Amino acid sequence: MKSKLIVNVSPHLHKDESVSKIMWMVVISLIPAGVAGVLIFGLDALWVILLGIVSALITEWIIQLLTKRRVTILDGSAFLTGLLLAYNLPAKVPFWLPVVGSFFAIAIGKQVFGGLGQNIFNPALVGRVFLVASWPKYMTTFTPPQNFDAITSATPLAIIKEGRILEKISYLNLFFGNRGGCIGEVCIFALVLGALFLFIRGYISWHIPITYTVVVGLFTYIFGQKGLFTPPLRAGAGFGGDWLLHILSGGLILGAFFMATDYVTSPLTRCGQIIFGIGCGLITAIIRLWGGYPEGVSYAILMMNAATPIIDRYTKNRIYGTKI
Amino acid sequence: MNVAQFLTIFISAVFLYNVILSRFLGLCSFVAISKETKPAMAMSLAVMFVTTMSSIITWFIYRFLLIPFGLTYLRTISFILVIATFVQFVEMVIRKISPPLYRFFGIYLPLITVNCAVLGVAVLNVDMFFINGRAITGSFYYSVFQGICVGLGYALAMLLMSGIRERLDLCNVPKSVKEFPLAFIIASIMSLSFMGFNGFKF
Amino acid sequence: MKNLFKEFLKGIIRENPTFVLVLGLCPTLAVSTSVINGIGMGIAATFVLLGSNVIVALIKNIIPARIRIPCFIVVIATFVTITEMTMKAYSPALNRALGIYVPLIVVNCIVLGRAEAYAQKQTVLNSLFDGLGMGVGFTLALILISGIREALGSGKILGYTLVQKFEPAFVLGMPSGALLVIGLLLGFFNILKGRRE
Repeated sequence: MKSKLIVNVSPHLHKDESVSKIMWMVVISLIPAGVAGVLIFGLDALWVILLGIVSALITEWIIQLLTKRRVTILDGSAFLTGLLLAYNLPAKVPFWLPVVGSFFAIAIGKQVFGGLGQNIFNPALVGRVFLVASWPKYMTTFTPPQNFDAITSATPLAIIKEGRILEKISYLNLFFGNRGGCIGEVCIFALVLGALFLFIRGYISWHIPITYTVVVGLFTYIFGQKGLFTPPLRAGAGFGGDWLLHILSGGLILGAFFMATDYVTSPLTRCGQIIFGIGCGLITAIIRLWGGYPEGVSYAILMMNAATPIIDRYTKNRIYGTKI
Repeated sequence: MNVAQFLTIFISAVFLYNVILSRFLGLCSFVAISKETKPAMAMSLAVMFVTTMSSIITWFIYRFLLIPFGLTYLRTISFILVIATFVQFVEMVIRKISPPLYRFFGIYLPLITVNCAVLGVAVLNVDMFFINGRAITGSFYYSVFQGICVGLGYALAMLLMSGIRERLDLCNVPKSVKEFPLAFIIASIMSLSFMGFNGFKF
Repeated sequence: MKNLFKEFLKGIIRENPTFVLVLGLCPTLAVSTSVINGIGMGIAATFVLLGSNVIVALIKNIIPARIRIPCFIVVIATFVTITEMTMKAYSPALNRALGIYVPLIVVNCIVLGRAEAYAQKQTVLNSLFDGLGMGVGFTLALILISGIREALGSGKILGYTLVQKFEPAFVLGMPSGALLVIGLLLGFFNILKGRRE
């Protein structure tokens, strides 16, 4: 046996991971949801996804050329941003919408801050809220699922917000994505598959997504029933909201597992991550129950992104023997 | 006067019509002092105190001095004078009573005189809670509460912004957007995300 | 004469209150949703600047140094009140559009800043031209910002449609759009400055 003794200083552990590899793994885990979206909404969805990705890559390339930085469009991060943005769009949008959204997401959401690893906000969500604020007409016109018997084009949350009663939609329908909505958010089954893959490979931890989902569920269960705060207060008022519906509809699963867990824009410590998850959950539920918009996931995550540096500051791990 | 009204004032003053991010009041101090968390917090506390107190004082002046004598056109001039005097007075008192406290936020007090947020909340109170020259029911409580909430909104924006900017100090930000431009772009994204509370109804 | 002209010009480019000194941003961002509002605000602020600069330069030798700031504020507030009442009488629509930002000219840092930094040390004529230059610079900046916001945010300028079939981005008419435009413009001017140096 040849001697393989290498004398070296610590640390000796090496993990075969890189930013780029993690990014591509997340992309892979998102593929099932995309396939489901295309199956449900038809080929339009595929075009939106492709446009989103390609324009994100091109924007990143141009900006890195202009600012004379190293061109890193193959590290997967721009690809992931474009993909996530497209997943947050309805299937039948004009072709320029994903292009403008991706451009904004990469240029303002990421490159202005100096590129990968330095952005404060999740770029894809910055792109999405920009589009919602600019062209609400396109962003809230959903197409009905085409392959199954079409039920309704409005999203379940929008129907509840308008005070109408949800008809003919079972939890199973919601679970497999037979409903109106954005491309990547509808098929919970596919999203859970992807998330499981990330869990098992250890790329995401349970802290943010699980606390986020549980808080939304709990809050909508307690306050979801109309009339908790309208006097007279009666015993047991409130409890019994449809929490499962709130978890299964809207962009909660996509947001909680794939966007709130972004390494760059979420807190570093476990404790911080739990605070982050709880904050996201509370804001989402409050917007859904009392806000003007039917859905609040993207706003909740962005608000908590803004709070991340402060959370990090106060949840720093104490070095043994020092004061904070 | 009911709970729902107070909650609506809270949400709209802190998030929806945040003094800084939506009404743009106190923007100068926001951009200038939000580089580090500590001074940002001192400034926010000072602003909160002054907005609350000036809401109380200006309400009494408007209700018992300007309206009865038909002098409402002197609103701007009287408010700013009273606020300036009050701030000066507080500064003197703090300097006398507690030098450490003075060192903590005394230097920010003179700045507050010309902070639009303080005059802004006084004018807003008058616009919102007096109809046709008469105080609506609960007007005083609403005014004071709005003063507190505007201060809270200021503090929230300050806290978030200073945290973000402290972190950005370690980042390799493009030279052309360093400092002011980036601060505005971050504020813009924060403002976008606070729009999630649009149409809040309790 | 040449000297006075220089005093006038410096407020427009070299010491532009908005883009170079970064002062008085509250009204700049709040009322710049349309060009007409921007012009209205610009004229109102210019009038106040002119008036306060001239009066401060006139009375600079009378007022004690220690209470000069309150004195300046009273002078400024007087002009603001005049502006507010005039606007209410002759253009109620504009007054309503500008809302609380008219009384807030009192605390506009440009006005107090010029009184403190310039008018109290200079002659009346110099102060007059300085105020005029600063006012025009402020108005031009407002027109630039509101022009961008109105064109992209509603597809129109002064009520005329620019390009058919253009889908305006509503966000530019909102507060976050204002912050974005000023941020990008400041960045843009920084790049220009970097080129020149």
